[in-house]
Formats: sequence, structure tokens, C-alpha cells
Amino acid sequence: MATDPVPLSMEAIRLWSGVECPSPAGKRGLEDFAALITEFEAVRGTLVFEDEPSTFEAALRAEQEPEA
Amino acid sequence: MTDLATLSVTEAADAFAKGEATAEALVRASLARIDAHDGKVNAVIRLDREAALEAAAAQDKARAGGVRLGALAGVPMMHKDMYYRAGKVSSCGSKIRKGFRPTVTATVLRKLDAAGAIDMGTLNMAEFAQNPTGHNAHFGDCRNPWNLAYCTGGSSSGSGAGVAARFFAAALGSDTGGSIRLPAGICGVTGIKGTQTRVSRAGVMPLSFSMDNVGPLTRTARDAARIMTVIAGQDPLDATSAPEAVPDYEAALTGDLRGISLAVPREWFFDGADEVVVKGFESALEVLKARGAKVDYVSCPSLRAIGTYVSVVSRVEGATIHANWMREHPGDYAIHLSGRLFGGYAIPGHYYVEALSRRGPLLRQFCKEAFAGHQIVATPTLRMRVPTLAETDIDADTANWARHMAVSANTRPFNYLGIPTVSVPCGFDDRGLPIGMQLSARPFAEGRALQAADAYQRDTDWHARVPVL
Repeated sequence: MATDPVPLSMEAIRLWSGVECPSPAGKRGLEDFAALITEFEAVRGTLVFEDEPSTFEAALRAEQEPEA
Repeated sequence: MTDLATLSVTEAADAFAKGEATAEALVRASLARIDAHDGKVNAVIRLDREAALEAAAAQDKARAGGVRLGALAGVPMMHKDMYYRAGKVSSCGSKIRKGFRPTVTATVLRKLDAAGAIDMGTLNMAEFAQNPTGHNAHFGDCRNPWNLAYCTGGSSSGSGAGVAARFFAAALGSDTGGSIRLPAGICGVTGIKGTQTRVSRAGVMPLSFSMDNVGPLTRTARDAARIMTVIAGQDPLDATSAPEAVPDYEAALTGDLRGISLAVPREWFFDGADEVVVKGFESALEVLKARGAKVDYVSCPSLRAIGTYVSVVSRVEGATIHANWMREHPGDYAIHLSGRLFGGYAIPGHYYVEALSRRGPLLRQFCKEAFAGHQIVATPTLRMRVPTLAETDIDADTANWARHMAVSANTRPFNYLGIPTVSVPCGFDDRGLPIGMQLSARPFAEGRALQAADAYQRDTDWHARVPVL
């Protein structure tokens, strides 16, 4: 990924949340975002238009053991 | 004569019920063990010595009076310091809540009280339940009883270390990304995270409302079964708690695994795994086979997407509920925690919604891949050998970040999937630290996972070994 996510993320956090980077560990955490973005690129297109969070509770019930 | 502190939950409860041990003697044995060794282990935050002895005396009096006793009567327990008891400080392992006195009592504590368990106080934990190693900058790091230089696992560090050290028979932990199973696996004890929504979270410190779970750490699967039977079930105080009936989990522990088939996913859980961990895990599979189980290696391509999404949900939810404190006094958090929370504010909202929206479909896909023709999924609890406290200490050096975060790689997927998962000890590595195996089952089939764990423990003694302190 060509763009460094660290300074952009720090600025976005300040703008949207009013939170300042607390320590070098805060910056280190943001360094992982390049990999996270790549991972999300890999799953693009898998979200179905009708999917929503409530499908999880339905799936928990649907996927029970028949005898459980 | 048996040291009463070495008794498991069921052994202690049975000894008390039969009149072979008083509750007071059980509590005094626990207190003596804590007094002798907690200076080294640092598992305890608050010891309610007098209250525990008073509760024990009340139990003894009730038994002598012929009162019908609960399933946990006389059993000494302590809990992660995030279960609220009205009027008692619940620090959540933090500086920020060091003086916090809740006005409510957690439903799980009320259920344990009603079953006769004796609450002796609160336990060390990762600050706000947010690290997988057991580091704590405010109360001191909890130390692994098998070797004090090593991690206990987190976030339920005192729960794992205390049960392993025989300070008490069982402890509640909580599990959002592995925080029960990691200290269980790393300290050589048993721990279960139930199905998402199976145990009430009312009166429990929140971390991530989509993935938080309450559960016990114990010496044996039978102990875990007894406690889960007591604490699971719908709670009017927790609107998210599941209405499914709770069986007697202990009754299903037959030791028989004939007709049971285990799936071992080829993906994810062995990526970069240490050889000694893989060997220990494979030896455990042989024990299960000898009990009558069939074992198949299966392909689960869904795990890549699961691994992507799980990293987002708890970070965003945790960052959200900590936002005011992160704005107003971020210096009150340990360096590793404020650093971890900080990134949560930069994750786009649509990533978070996508992660939650894909959760149901991915659970269904995983069940097709792993549970078709199988009742259990078996995996190593950690990919790596137990790390030292020093080599995972982010506060000392941010270069330890990746090693610290990698500890929970194998436990996190089951929080996203929401399925019940037990960790049992299955050996020791070449440095003498425990190795753990996870046994997962379909939603609401906690009994199935416990059945396999109990069967395994009938033919092994890893869970019965006691660290020398």
C-alpha cells in the first residue's frame, strides 16, 4: 500500500473523536492498519446486500446440534 | 491427610456434603495456600478473609441444621475483579476504577451465592480485560505458577494462575478474545467460554458487547460442567441472554466418545505454530481416538475472513466505551492499553458493520465446513510456546507489540463465531510450561465440548499436576 496509514489515521482520530495519540504504542498499533486494509480488500464483494448483524443470532439458533 | 486446597470443585462439594470436610476447613486451607504463595504469584487483588470465614460458618451451620445444600456448597472461589458486588470495590484491574463501588450485584455472583459457593474476594486481571498476556501496570503483573518469569495468559490472569496454584477450586473469568481459554491453556487448567449469550453479563464490566462471555476456570471439565449448570441461562437483567434451556451438563459426562467425530481445521490454527505445541496437540488427539473418537483434518476456507473480521469488532466496541477516559486522562491507562484502544477510533464504521453483518453467514459457512459429520472441532489453544512476561511487555518496548498480539491468534476466531469452546491442558513444552487444546462444539452444545474434555481428562493427568511454588 502506497500511502502510510499512520499520520492519516492520527489526524482522522483527532478530527472525529478528539483523542490524541497517547504514546509510541498508539502509533505502533496504527502500523498494523496497512495489513488490515489489505485483508479487507481480500474479502470485498462477499457482503450480501441483505446481510445485517441480526443474522448472527438467527445463525446461532439454526446451527445447533439437532439433539442439543 | 489430603490438603483440602488441592480438591477440585466437585471433590470439595462432595466432601462438604458428606460431612468429610467443613466449609471453614476448606476456606482455611485456601487462605493458607494464598498466604504462603501469593506473594510470588500476585493473583489476588482483594482477599475478603473474614467475610469468607463467616460465609463458611453459615454453610456449616446450615448443613448441621439439615438445610438442603446447593451444588457448590462449601466450595471456595474467587473471581476476576470485574464482577460487580454491590458496595464492594470492583477495580476492573485499572487505576481509573480503583475506587469504583457498584450498586448492583452481578447475576452470576448471585447464582453462585445461591448454589453455596464461598466468594473469598477478587483477582488480578488485565486492565479492563484487554490483554492476552496478564500484564498489569497498576496491580503488578500476575505470574505463571509453573515458572514465575512467564506469562499467565490474560485477561483472566489471576483466575488461571490462582486455580493452577491451588489457591481456590475455581474462578470466574471473562472471554472476549480468549481471556478464559488463554490463562487456562497457559496455566494448565480448564476453562470454558460458552455460546455467545449463554451466560448473563448483567453486572459484569463490559468490553465488547458483541463478544463478551462469562465462564469459569477450573481444574477439571467436570468442575466446569457443574459451574456452567449453575450460571448459564436466561436472565431478565440481560436482554441479550439466550432463552435456550440449560441441561445438567455434568450428567452428560459419560467418558464415551464412540460415535463422536472431531474435525481439525487445516487453516489458520497451525500457521507458524511451534513444533512442540503441534506435537502435544497431536498426542492429545491420539488419546481421544483411543476413547473411541474419529479424527479428520478438514478444510475451512472461511477462517481467513473470520480472522479479518474478528480483529475489528472488539477494538471498535472497546474504543467506543473508553472514549471519554481516552480524551480526558489517557495517561491513567497502561501504555499497551491506551495504544491498543487508540487504533479503534480509526477503523471505519463500514468495516465494523461489515464485520458484524458477515458474522451470521460466516458462522453458517464454518459449521458447514467443520461440523458436517463432526461434533467437535479441535485446535491448539496457542500456536506458540508460552512466552515470558519480558518478551511480551509492550510498556517496556513497543518492539514486543507483534509477539504480544499474536498470543490470542487461535482463541479469537471462536469469539467471532460465538460457539462454545473449552480449553484443557494437554502437556508441557520443552521449557516446562503448559500446552492447551481447544474443543469447540456447535452453538448451545456446551455439553458436547465438555463431554470430550472430560473424556480426555479420564485418560490423562495434565490437569491434576501441581506446580511447585
